Amino acid sequence: MTPIPLSLYIHFPWCIQKCPYCDFNSHAVKGELPEKRYIDALIRDLETELPFIWGRRLESVFMGGGTPSLISAAGMQRLMSALRRLLPMRPEMEITLEANPSTFEQERFKQYRDCGINRLSIGIQSFNQDHLRRLGRVHNDQEALEAANIAKQAGFDNFNLDLMFALPQQTQAQAMQDLQTAIECQPSHISWYQLTIEPNTFFHHSPPAHLPNDDLIADIQDQGVKILQQAGFKQYEVSAYSQAGKQCAHNRNYWEFGDYVAIGAGAHGKVSQLQTNTIERYFKYKQPQRYMEACEQGEPRSQTTQLSKQDLSFEFMLNALRLKQGVERTLFEQRTGLSLDAIAQPLQAVIDKGLLSKDAQRLSTSDLGWRFLNEVTTVFLSDD
Amino acid sequence: MAEANKYIRNFSVIAHIDHGKSTLSDRFIQECEGLSEREMEAQVLDSMDIERERGITIKAQSVSLDYTASNGQTYHLNFIDTPGHVDFSYEVSRSLTACEGALLVVDASQGVEAQSVANCYTAIDLDLEVVPVLNKIDLPAADPYRVCEEIEEIIGIDATDAIHVSAKTGVGVRDLLDQLVERIPAPQGDPDAPLKALIIDSWFDNYLGVVALIRIIDGTIKKKQKIKFMSSADTALVDRVGIFTPKLRDLDTLTAGEVGFVITGIKEIDAIKVGDTITDALNPAQSALDGFKEVQPRVFAGVFPVSSDDYENLRDALNKLSLNDASLHYEPENSQALGFGFRCGFLGMLHLEIVQERLEREYDLDLITTAPTVIYEIEKTDGEVINIYSPAELPPVNHIAEIREPIIRGSILVPQEYVGNVITLCIEKRGVQKQLQYMGKQVSIVYDLPLSEVVLDFFDRLKSVSRGYASFDYELDRFEVADLVRVDILINGDKVDALAVIIHRNNSQSRGRVLASKMKEIIPRQMFDVAIQAAIGGNVIARTNVKALRKNVTAKCYGGDVSRKRKLLEKQKAGKKRMKQVGNVEIPQEAFLAVLRTDNK
Repeated sequence: MTPIPLSLYIHFPWCIQKCPYCDFNSHAVKGELPEKRYIDALIRDLETELPFIWGRRLESVFMGGGTPSLISAAGMQRLMSALRRLLPMRPEMEITLEANPSTFEQERFKQYRDCGINRLSIGIQSFNQDHLRRLGRVHNDQEALEAANIAKQAGFDNFNLDLMFALPQQTQAQAMQDLQTAIECQPSHISWYQLTIEPNTFFHHSPPAHLPNDDLIADIQDQGVKILQQAGFKQYEVSAYSQAGKQCAHNRNYWEFGDYVAIGAGAHGKVSQLQTNTIERYFKYKQPQRYMEACEQGEPRSQTTQLSKQDLSFEFMLNALRLKQGVERTLFEQRTGLSLDAIAQPLQAVIDKGLLSKDAQRLSTSDLGWRFLNEVTTVFLSDD
Repeated sequence: MAEANKYIRNFSVIAHIDHGKSTLSDRFIQECEGLSEREMEAQVLDSMDIERERGITIKAQSVSLDYTASNGQTYHLNFIDTPGHVDFSYEVSRSLTACEGALLVVDASQGVEAQSVANCYTAIDLDLEVVPVLNKIDLPAADPYRVCEEIEEIIGIDATDAIHVSAKTGVGVRDLLDQLVERIPAPQGDPDAPLKALIIDSWFDNYLGVVALIRIIDGTIKKKQKIKFMSSADTALVDRVGIFTPKLRDLDTLTAGEVGFVITGIKEIDAIKVGDTITDALNPAQSALDGFKEVQPRVFAGVFPVSSDDYENLRDALNKLSLNDASLHYEPENSQALGFGFRCGFLGMLHLEIVQERLEREYDLDLITTAPTVIYEIEKTDGEVINIYSPAELPPVNHIAEIREPIIRGSILVPQEYVGNVITLCIEKRGVQKQLQYMGKQVSIVYDLPLSEVVLDFFDRLKSVSRGYASFDYELDRFEVADLVRVDILINGDKVDALAVIIHRNNSQSRGRVLASKMKEIIPRQMFDVAIQAAIGGNVIARTNVKALRKNVTAKCYGGDVSRKRKLLEKQKAGKKRMKQVGNVEIPQEAFLAVLRTDNK
């Protein structure tokens, strides 16, 4: 049996302030960051996870948040050496750090690079000062531009810019301007995604005025895809565009339904238990304080659930079909342990509706299905 | 008169919705100690949840009370409740037939309303002693002098001795009961004659079977007696007789003049029809009581489960409801658009709404109800006359000689200042004026109106053009030839049978257009353009379309955590489940009732 790739996700739950659209587990920093205690907790956390992944090698690491770049270079260094000590790693593997523009300092980023972090994902969101303000971002347009420069000078040739569109009061022209500016920063990867109002966010309670309507959003997206394409950024996932060979290995692993260990407050993991032939999801305690205590007691998981057959096939399709090219059909069996027969009925239903391509080798959406991905994945949702 | 009857009083209460009948009944029961404080749940007589919520009485009930009057004499009062809505006028007349008198309860601030007027006329026709009562006398807005004048002008009975009460505070209730025993005559009837009992109401009880509420006109009914239902000649053996206090209390016999229940072991509500006469099977009465009618539904609608899996559940639910509702008719219907369901017959719109609500609430069913329609009488070119119960049944135009529609005679009572509005509305609804009479500040207007126009939204419109002051009562009058056509709605080129409507040719163009644009509003954007057309025969009279949605993709997938994304998709899926898939188009439930709401726009 082909081994299932394994990644590591590390969550940092603090930000300078919470953005009104953000529904990740992040908390505004009050007073001094308990950096040392948190990194100790992360290491303890990973140690408790080791029994579930014995002998397996890491394929990628992603440090997300929150704002991981609030952590000092020394802290990062300590964490990185602990990882190397505890886990075998593929040489040259992708190690990404999420960073927000207002935290960029030449020296610290150089040290990040030196300790082995080889990819940055920068949360620009917009280069337009007005839009940044409405999004509640703490950085300004100048800092946004500056961040890309600092990244390059610090030795990061591989970095992603996170950019949003369909912002309150945004015109199509402004959205394209943001893309152009991003392209001029010469990143290797651009995540360009639509602002969505999530439950449990400030925007959900008090929605911003003048959000673009569905038709304008579709126009923006159609034109944006073209502009990115012309600049050499090929769309390979719903919101992900990259230069040749620079797709994000860590995210691809999610979409291909690989395994991932997760450490950090509120982090979600998914790991196949090869001995019992089951797949488990778990998440860690969300409140940073509670999480650190739990780690110190050696019990960082808040909840673990074993995925049912229905969950497995739904989650596989949910992820795999987000990839523009889809996945090999054989991947379904390999990653879920189920036969494709298990989803023969919904598969036929989406093929009949013209939503899935008729490719005998791959599972991938048709052009129509690509535009109506929610319609496609909903079909794989079991009724109960 | 038999001596035993001397102290019996059978009466009912005529009141408009909200004028306080239920509160007053509670006071009576309390005053006569029919229930202990602990048992006294508010408004005992309105027992169904929906009745209580809507403040109307759907089924008649009765209560027998012993009242010791101020003269020291104890009287046996039988209070027979009556339904209080225009859909149930036949039931009202049967309840009134069982009484010698009626209290006309009028809100002392709001005055007389058409519903009370119609029922009051019925009572007067039946020779009942009508005692006017002004309720809510404690309200600051009470204007007893004006309301008494109104009663005299509109109903034409002497209101100088109208009794002032407040059911809420209890003021005047004893006085009212004293007056009642004084003014309402004791029942007549010969206890030695062959049995003649009127069925006032009947209902199904899970433990007892069908319970009939009866008034003994002549003779005696007792346990073990073999009785006969005169409309059907069916016989049955009496299991139990007794009265409601309002608790059920068994007795050995009921004699002429008395009101109570009889239980026979019969399980089918249809067998015990309201208005029918019960007699002794061995010693039958010469003739039945007057006034019996088979109750016929007048309004029909298709009721379909949203999910076809629920068809059997819907059948069971309808079956259970009809156990207790002889006027609810249903038979299987198959719609191309909606699949298998039932065509149901109702007494009127309120009845329809109540049934629909009970199906959804008590049986937890997701339903699609099609726009209500009336019975049309079709004379075909070959001379055959057929009745159709749904627009889909209309034969091809070239097979139709004429279409006849049901006409009702509607009585409207409205304050002078709104007369113009009401007349405009009646004309718009194809009404023909029959009478217009000024009665003080109120005007009584009688119109002949097509029932089909009345079931649409007439009642709501009437309320809105008169700021709620107009009241309305109607009865079916006749069938009349009309120039009617069927307007079909086509979705992506396919006729959707459940959306078709039969309307007058003069209104067909405008209604067709409004209907099409209403559909455009209601049908959400989907993956494909949805073309909507309204057509009469092959002739398209309106077209519009719902533009395709450009995309439906959730922007960012939150890496490790799929639960949020899953929740969103589950929500989308649940939304879809409430829609009906017709061809490849998803149509929301409310589209099928849109025809009801097409006028004002």
